[in-house]
Amino acid sequence: MPPGNEYAAEQLKNQGNARFKDGDYDSAETLYSQAIQKNSKNPLLFTNRANARLKLEKWDGVIDDSIRSIELLKDNMKAFFYLAQAQIAINHPNEALSSALMAYELCTKSSQQTNNAATISALVLKCKKAKWDIRERERIRRRADLLADLESKLEEGFKKAIFDIEERTAAGEIGTIESQEQRAEQRTEWEKNVNDLRTAFALSDPENLQKREVPDYLVDGITFEIMHDPVVTRNGRSYERATLIEHLKRSPTDPLTREPLTIGELRPNISLKEACTEFMEQNSGWVYDCEDGEIDKDTRWAHLSSS
Amino acid sequence: MFASKRLGKELQKLHDHVPPGIKLIKADDFQEWLMDIQVIDANPLYQGETYRLKFMFSGNYPIEAPEVVFVKDDAHPIPWHPHVYSNGIICLDLLDRQGWSPVHNVESVCVSLQSMLTSNTKKERPPGDDNFVRYNTQRPRDINFVFHDNQV
Repeated sequence: MPPGNEYAAEQLKNQGNARFKDGDYDSAETLYSQAIQKNSKNPLLFTNRANARLKLEKWDGVIDDSIRSIELLKDNMKAFFYLAQAQIAINHPNEALSSALMAYELCTKSSQQTNNAATISALVLKCKKAKWDIRERERIRRRADLLADLESKLEEGFKKAIFDIEERTAAGEIGTIESQEQRAEQRTEWEKNVNDLRTAFALSDPENLQKREVPDYLVDGITFEIMHDPVVTRNGRSYERATLIEHLKRSPTDPLTREPLTIGELRPNISLKEACTEFMEQNSGWVYDCEDGEIDKDTRWAHLSSS
Repeated sequence: MFASKRLGKELQKLHDHVPPGIKLIKADDFQEWLMDIQVIDANPLYQGETYRLKFMFSGNYPIEAPEVVFVKDDAHPIPWHPHVYSNGIICLDLLDRQGWSPVHNVESVCVSLQSMLTSNTKKERPPGDDNFVRYNTQRPRDINFVFHDNQV
C-alpha cells in the first residue's frame, strides 16, 4: 500500500460518515467504496459500507461486506449484526439466527455491551420467529396437500360406487327406484365423510388449539416478556440480561430487595434459558410479538452506525 | 424503547383484572394514562371520594419511573396527605429516581398510593405547600424531594 493511502482512506471514511448521518446513504456508500480502494485492510470500512447498504436495502452487498469485515476482524459484533439483518431480509432465517446469536455473544462479552444487547436480543427473537414462520408455512402446505389427497381419494371411491350402481342398473340387477336410493345413499355417505375429514383436520390444527399463557417464571419482571438470556441475581430472581443491565446502569441495586448489585455479580441462568427456549419452540409464533420492521426504524442505531 | 411493549402488557392485565378500588380510566396511548383510586378501608378523611391519577411515561419506562400526579376536577379532589401538595404533586420515594424499581408497575403504584392514604390520619398538606404550589415550575421527576419521614 503506497504511503498516505491509509490517511486518505480515513478522510474518505469520515466524509462517508458525515453523509451517512445526513441520511445520504448513496453518497456514503460511494465514499466508503473509495476508501476501501485506498485501504482494503480496515474492517471498519467494510462494516460502515455494510451499514450504508443496509439502509439502501442492497442485501447481497451487506452480506459481502460483513463477511469481508469478519475475515479481517474475527470478533466483529457489528458485522455479524448487519449480516443477520441482511440474511433475514433475503429470507435465510437459519443463517440469520446464527449470525444474530454470534453478535449477541460478542456483545455480552464486550465491556461496553449493554446498549446494543437489547437491540440484538430483539433481532435474535425476530430471526427465531422468521425461522418458525417458515416451518409453519411448510407444515400448512403439507397439511393442505394431504387433505386434498384424501379428499380426492374419497371422491374417487364415491364415483366408483356410483359407476357400479349404474352398471348393475343397466344390467337389470336392480330397479330404477332402488338404484336412485342407492346413489342418494352413496352421495350422503361421501359428503359426510368429507365433512368428518375436514372437521378432524380442523380439530388437530394447532391454530385451533388453545394458546398457552407464558408461565410467569419464564417472564422477565421488567419487560414482561419471555426471556431469551436470563441472568440470576443474588436473591435468586432472574431477569433478562439486557434490561436488567439497563436498570443497573441507572441504579446498582437489586430491583426487588434494593440491595447493592453490580453487573459483575450476575450469573447466567442456563436451565431457565433452556426452559424458555423449549417453550418458544413449542408455542412459537405468538410468543414473540415483535412487530415487523420495529427493529430498524429508530435512532437506536445511532450508537452502532458511526465509528 | 421497551415502554410501549411493556405498557401494552400491563394494559392487557389491567383489562383482565384490577384490585378493588382501582379503575383504569383512559389509556389511549403509551404516553399518558388516567387511573382512579378509592380508599377501601373506612378512613373518614377519604370516605366516598375518588381520586384521579395521571401517569406519564417516558420511552424508557419501566427503567425510568413514571411521573405520577393527582389531578383535580369537579368530581375528583386532591386527597389530604402530608406528602401530597395541593397541586397534586406527590412526594413518595417509590416514584423518585432512587426509590423506583423497574419491577413496579402502574397497578403496584396505585396500590402503594392507596395504602399511603389508608394509613394516614392527618388532614394536612406538606410544610411549605403554599410556596411550593405558587412557585414550583419543575416537573415532578425533576424535583429532588428529601425523604426525611418514613413513618407516613
